[in-house]
Amino acid sequence: MKITKNKQTNRDIVLSILLFIIAGIAYVFIQILSTESDATKAHIYYGNLSTPIVTIDFAHNNGEGRIIVNYNQEVRSQYGNYPIISEEKQTITLLGDYEIEGIRQIVVIKYDYTKKSVEIIEEQSPNNICSREGESRGKPLICLPNRIRVEFETSEDVDFTI
Amino acid sequence: MTLLANLLAIAIVLNIIESAFPIIPVPGAKLGFANIVTLVVLYIYSFKDSSILTILRVLLVALLSGKLLGPVFYMSIAGAVTATLVMGIMKKTNFFGMIGVSVIGSIFHCIGQIVAGIFVIGSTAIIWYLPIMLFLSIPSGALTGIIAKRFVATWQTWHNEIS
Repeated sequence: MKITKNKQTNRDIVLSILLFIIAGIAYVFIQILSTESDATKAHIYYGNLSTPIVTIDFAHNNGEGRIIVNYNQEVRSQYGNYPIISEEKQTITLLGDYEIEGIRQIVVIKYDYTKKSVEIIEEQSPNNICSREGESRGKPLICLPNRIRVEFETSEDVDFTI
Repeated sequence: MTLLANLLAIAIVLNIIESAFPIIPVPGAKLGFANIVTLVVLYIYSFKDSSILTILRVLLVALLSGKLLGPVFYMSIAGAVTATLVMGIMKKTNFFGMIGVSVIGSIFHCIGQIVAGIFVIGSTAIIWYLPIMLFLSIPSGALTGIIAKRFVATWQTWHNEIS
């Protein structure tokens, strides 16, 4: 009995260390991949809808860039119209699902045509996971309590869809 | 039965405390101390008791924090159920000890959460978060395993003394 217990403990240690190293390598790999990828478009989605509300086209007109609003968010009239696009501040404001005292909160997304990056600069949620993520050039940004997400599209994907 | 109810109460308290005071500086990541109770019950009672306790814990914590049926709730219940199921199977095989079972459980907790997340947000983009989650959950799974192992060892000597 004692011997099998020791064997199990040894296996436990080997397993833990091995898995930790594998996960570490995978994490570093993902980090490198997300900073090096060259996105041509970023799509902003709400909920589990498959069509993006807003598309940021970085590559349009040789890097001049443009914002495509596919449709407006369906919200009660008291909230006003969303998305709000500010070309001057380079921000897109959407209405998230997270509520404070029964009022849905806004999510402010900043984009940069030259850096081809997107950052969530303002958002209300318990842990602020997506706004703490900082600037992203390829890694998706997911605001789970707000049910808003940003996904990138690389040029390979464009070729594939054509 | 009374002890099980007490353990459930401990699990709920642990769960709420660690959500309120993040020890790990990464947002959303928890040490998973409530899993100590799942693991302990799995070893000193049965798989059935452990599953019931875990599901009740997730439901009651969601109810107490007002997150019942929200997107985060589906992810936590999926993670907890997958982890308990896999830990039950791993314990049966007897190949790993409590620490190994706990580490495997924590990995499947992440996988369960991510799979539920894919359905919640309707996109596979959330998979990008899996490596960081695994990287954090393996050491915390090992830690909870060590604590649970100590608990069971103490409990067994105490139990033998009474009977």
